[in-house]
Amino acid sequence: MYTKVILVKDTDLKREDKTREFYTHLLDYLRGSNLHSQIQVVRVADIGVYDKGLVIKILPDKIIYCNVQDSDIKRIVDSTLDQGKIIEDLVFKLKAKQHRLVLRNCGKINPESIEEYIACGGYLGLKKVLGELGQQKLIEEIKLSGIRGRGGAGYPTWMKWNFAREAASTEKFVICNADEGDPGAYMDRSILEGDPHSVVEGLIIAAFAIGAPKGYFYIRAEYPLAVERIHKAIKQAYDFGLLGQNILGSSFNLDIEIRLGAGAFVCGEETALISSIEGKRGTPHPRPPYPSVKGLWGKPTVINNVETLANIPVIISNGGKWFSQIGTQASKGTKVFAVTGKVKNSGLVEIAMGATLREIVMDICGGTLSGKPIKAVQTGGPSGGVIPEALLDTPVDYENLQKLGSIMGSGGMIVMDEDDCMVDIPKFYLGFCVEESCGKCAPCRIGGFQMLGYLKKISEGKGVADDLGQLRRLSLAMQKASLCGLGQTASNPVLSTLKYFEHEYNEHILNKRCPAGKCSNLVTYEIVEDKCKRCGLCVINCPVQAISGGKEEGYLIAQEKCIKCGRCFDVCKFKAISKK
Amino acid sequence: MKKIIQAKINGILLRVEEGTTILEAAKRVQIKIPTLCKHPDLPPSASCGICIVKNKGSHKMLRSCCTPLEEGMDIITHDPEIVEIRRTVIELILSNHPNDCLKCARNNECELQKLTADFGIKEESFPQFLRDLPIDRSTKAVDLDPKKCILCGRCVHVCQELQDVWALSFLERGMKTRISPAGDIQLADSPCVRCGQCSAHCPTGAFVEQDHTAQAWKALQDPDKYCVVQIAPAVRVSIGEAFGYTGKNFTKKLYALLRRLGFNAVFDTSFAADVTIMEEASEFEDRLLHGRRPLPLITTCCPSWVDFMEKFYTDMIDHFSSCKSPHEILGVLSKTYYAEKNKIDPSKIFMVSIMPCTSKKYEITRNDEMFASGYQDIDTVLCTRELVRMIKQAGIDFDSLPDEECDSILGEYAGSGVIFGATGGVMEAALRTAHYFVTGKELKKVEFENVRGLKGVKETEIEIGAKKLKIAVAHGLGNVEYILNKVREAKNNGKEMPYHFIEVMACPGGCVGGGGQPYMVTDELRIKRAQALYQDDDQKQVRCSHQNPYIKRLYKEFLGKPLGEKSEKLLHVHYKARPVYVK
Amino acid sequence: MNKLTPHDLEKMHQASSGASKDWIKVGMSSCGIAAGADDVFNFFIEEVKKRNLQIEIKKCGCAGACYAEPLVEVSVAGLPPVVYGAVNKEVATKILEKHVISKMLVNDCIFEVLG
Repeated sequence: MYTKVILVKDTDLKREDKTREFYTHLLDYLRGSNLHSQIQVVRVADIGVYDKGLVIKILPDKIIYCNVQDSDIKRIVDSTLDQGKIIEDLVFKLKAKQHRLVLRNCGKINPESIEEYIACGGYLGLKKVLGELGQQKLIEEIKLSGIRGRGGAGYPTWMKWNFAREAASTEKFVICNADEGDPGAYMDRSILEGDPHSVVEGLIIAAFAIGAPKGYFYIRAEYPLAVERIHKAIKQAYDFGLLGQNILGSSFNLDIEIRLGAGAFVCGEETALISSIEGKRGTPHPRPPYPSVKGLWGKPTVINNVETLANIPVIISNGGKWFSQIGTQASKGTKVFAVTGKVKNSGLVEIAMGATLREIVMDICGGTLSGKPIKAVQTGGPSGGVIPEALLDTPVDYENLQKLGSIMGSGGMIVMDEDDCMVDIPKFYLGFCVEESCGKCAPCRIGGFQMLGYLKKISEGKGVADDLGQLRRLSLAMQKASLCGLGQTASNPVLSTLKYFEHEYNEHILNKRCPAGKCSNLVTYEIVEDKCKRCGLCVINCPVQAISGGKEEGYLIAQEKCIKCGRCFDVCKFKAISKK
Repeated sequence: MKKIIQAKINGILLRVEEGTTILEAAKRVQIKIPTLCKHPDLPPSASCGICIVKNKGSHKMLRSCCTPLEEGMDIITHDPEIVEIRRTVIELILSNHPNDCLKCARNNECELQKLTADFGIKEESFPQFLRDLPIDRSTKAVDLDPKKCILCGRCVHVCQELQDVWALSFLERGMKTRISPAGDIQLADSPCVRCGQCSAHCPTGAFVEQDHTAQAWKALQDPDKYCVVQIAPAVRVSIGEAFGYTGKNFTKKLYALLRRLGFNAVFDTSFAADVTIMEEASEFEDRLLHGRRPLPLITTCCPSWVDFMEKFYTDMIDHFSSCKSPHEILGVLSKTYYAEKNKIDPSKIFMVSIMPCTSKKYEITRNDEMFASGYQDIDTVLCTRELVRMIKQAGIDFDSLPDEECDSILGEYAGSGVIFGATGGVMEAALRTAHYFVTGKELKKVEFENVRGLKGVKETEIEIGAKKLKIAVAHGLGNVEYILNKVREAKNNGKEMPYHFIEVMACPGGCVGGGGQPYMVTDELRIKRAQALYQDDDQKQVRCSHQNPYIKRLYKEFLGKPLGEKSEKLLHVHYKARPVYVK
Repeated sequence: MNKLTPHDLEKMHQASSGASKDWIKVGMSSCGIAAGADDVFNFFIEEVKKRNLQIEIKKCGCAGACYAEPLVEVSVAGLPPVVYGAVNKEVATKILEKHVISKMLVNDCIFEVLG
């Protein structure tokens, strides 16, 4: 019977993987010490620590040693395994750790089982709210917690609730905004799919807080599994008396329905979302009046994001004070990010507010997949901005990200390396906003379209010096004169790249060069004579017969014919095609 | 009593009622914040983004059209940054708008053009982008050119909320967004009732009346044609606005003017309104005393209303007065009675109606009954805005025109005929005559103040002899539902009818607020126009249709009696249910 | 189903804690399913039945390590619970034969990222 397990992984990116070598040496030593029947050694695919040489993790003690050498094997076995002593100079202390509040049950419980949710303490928050707290104390508890809306804007949740509670109306509504739409962001989907009851419970508590007898889930139709699981969760909650009449034997009644979003990004904006539920065209409306005063069908309405609601049950169970001790001064609790792009470990990361971007990207997600240096990190999706590598030590909270010209947003985080072009990136995001603009207001509708035109022009090498001025002018008009968040923030990706990477714009405009080699019009492919082995693979693969020549005289790319598709570059086995 | 709040605009302290928008409040400190989408008739749509202002201490800008002034605010309505952003937004709108002002129906009357001039924009800052979208001319009344649309949303709001017609909506999104009937069909196949309120509210040339001045000019130069013209009550009190006068009645100048344009005879629709009253009051008397057809009786002078009813309230057909609209009556009388008396070949008569209305353009060929004289009773309809253009084309100096009288036998009207142009006017005129028909006695006081004014639905009770009559007046089709639902409910449950007599006019304010009237109408202007009509009525010797000597002569010489055989043939119509959407 | 009272809820919560059977959990959110979790789940069910193993096969949501989907967590008495990533039928077979039956962790397949 084994008593301990040692996980082994070489995390050094710069050299060849030495895991197997070390594994054999360790096994040999254990065999020699006659410990091999008690200690199991396992090579693992990922050990959760990156770029720290050879790393071992001893279970069940959870001791991690890093930069381990063959010469360390003896002392590890003798003192740590045998005598339980920790070797200080090898110990790796995790700087950044995930802090899983919202994702507490994701990957742990069966999302389709209410019993498993209850087993993990589910609906005990609701019980506490109905039994002990009452409306007033509930809102005070939420106020004490300091939680702010996780949809992006960071409005204090308790204030929303309080406005709606104070509004005199017998009809009130609560809505869960599950119309997640930022490119690359899928935290909400994961929560809905992985722990639907936590969101349902959050919504029931919100409804109780304001005295609403009716609630809606507004879920985008592109999330069929989330819809199915929320549907099941609601049905189970009804069966268990956690929805419907006299919830948990109290006098509180609540009905919840699901509404599907038909694919418009702007319907994530709360006033547009309300129009959509009402069966109208999903376009934003001026605020005030705010939905908490006059919302769905003209009645006081609280709209909370999925992640916000998933936080509520834990806040209630553990108390607002407990929650307020997590995070920073102004931003409490945790935030889930969907980290994607050129990152090694793409996926969901939940950290306490105040962790730095570098900790998230480097320590938790393992840096870039290619091993190339990071150029920037984009947060906040199409409403956010890029943050250059030099500023990655900024602690994450609402205000800090805003100061850098980005936003917290709903939690999308895209990692970019030197192959990403800082003209191409804002072009992508702006293109998204232009596509998704509802068309109602002129600054957003036409402003975004015109800005996109300038970016396309620049990326095609047709830009002129004046274009940057036009971009700045349009950005200002869109920011100040657009009606809703979509238009007001659509220029952020452009402004932030202009702020930190103006030189790249100038390269495109003045030198007609794309440093990242991304903008196909500005790239030139040439054959490097002394590397070319004259195999002719490029000739066969060129779709427009732009490469001429033969085995004797060598090959040449006719620039006027080349369509910059990059096929020759990709197929050449000798790196004999240069891309400039 | 609303709370009063205190705030500053441009450093000036002011106190306003809570809920007052910054745009409204700014007017009190002599600031008119520019906007392209806000219309005084409509709630803010907040779509143009031009009316932005700053609140000191906030980096955000506020849209003044929809943001209420709040206690303690310190608003700045203009500074270099605000002006620059407004200019950028206008330039953006221009980059998505055709550059053909010179050939546009709204040239010189376009709100976008005016703003462009105000901001001194002289060149294209951004590349032009226009979608190739066809012009919809299907209604024969109002044309929609989506290329000129700036998507302010006024027409959509007017069509959906004010008029409850729902012919217009936004289609697609982003730069592809456009105004169109749902399902991307032609307006003529949609619920559109051609009221033209879209064109009256449009800030640009996206919605304009179909221009028929060429037809009128052509007839006027044809030596074979005997051109006659009639002017509707509401035109006389609005036409002056094109020449700098508001709330003034120009009836007699218009008579002179139309003669100088070349018309052989000038008639007045107000005379035909008196005929309408004779018929309609008789119909009412018949229904009230003999009950051959049901009450309430509902007026039908307004073709948009008739169209609306035939599409949405077909169960009310029995309640509709069968009497034609006044201008159609004058059309048929000119080609029968007038032609006979003056020995003119009716086929040579060309009748032009000058109307405040776009719907009348469609009405003149809407069915066979519009050809009761044996010819098309009305040949062309021009709305007020078109007449203004004809005056300018002719170079007639409107200001110094002399007063002239109308041509005889189809012109002299009683006071009751001219108030048709204001909401409640038809009701008031009908009551004056109905009182006489029912009781045999003349009224001592002919004014019915309760049916006047701009309240959306006016309900009142009056006494005719021993009978107490309940009446209702609605203007703006959005106000119809309230009244007709009450009738419908009583009908379906066999209860007593809530009303005896109902007047409906499609346009807000009645014909004075018609879809073909001069632009930028407000309630203030509607009231002024209506007041000028009531003043005309007040100054008339004869105030009731049945007392009009020319009316008496018409019946004696030609029609016989109201609802008589000849009247029925020439002056009455039938209604039928029509589909809301034509497939 | 009878409607719960607060007392019932508390009882359900307490009764359920402490169950410690061997189990395998397959991440079955969109990301897992897209990477083939459905097949892996069904494979486990079939194989466990075929080999008559005393282990429960369960579903769960996404644990967050989307790059390594399908993720499978295995908990067997006597071994620390571990998460296997990029599981296919081949790895699944190894998990059953080595981890479940022989109580040996499978080499090169563990993603120890969430601990």
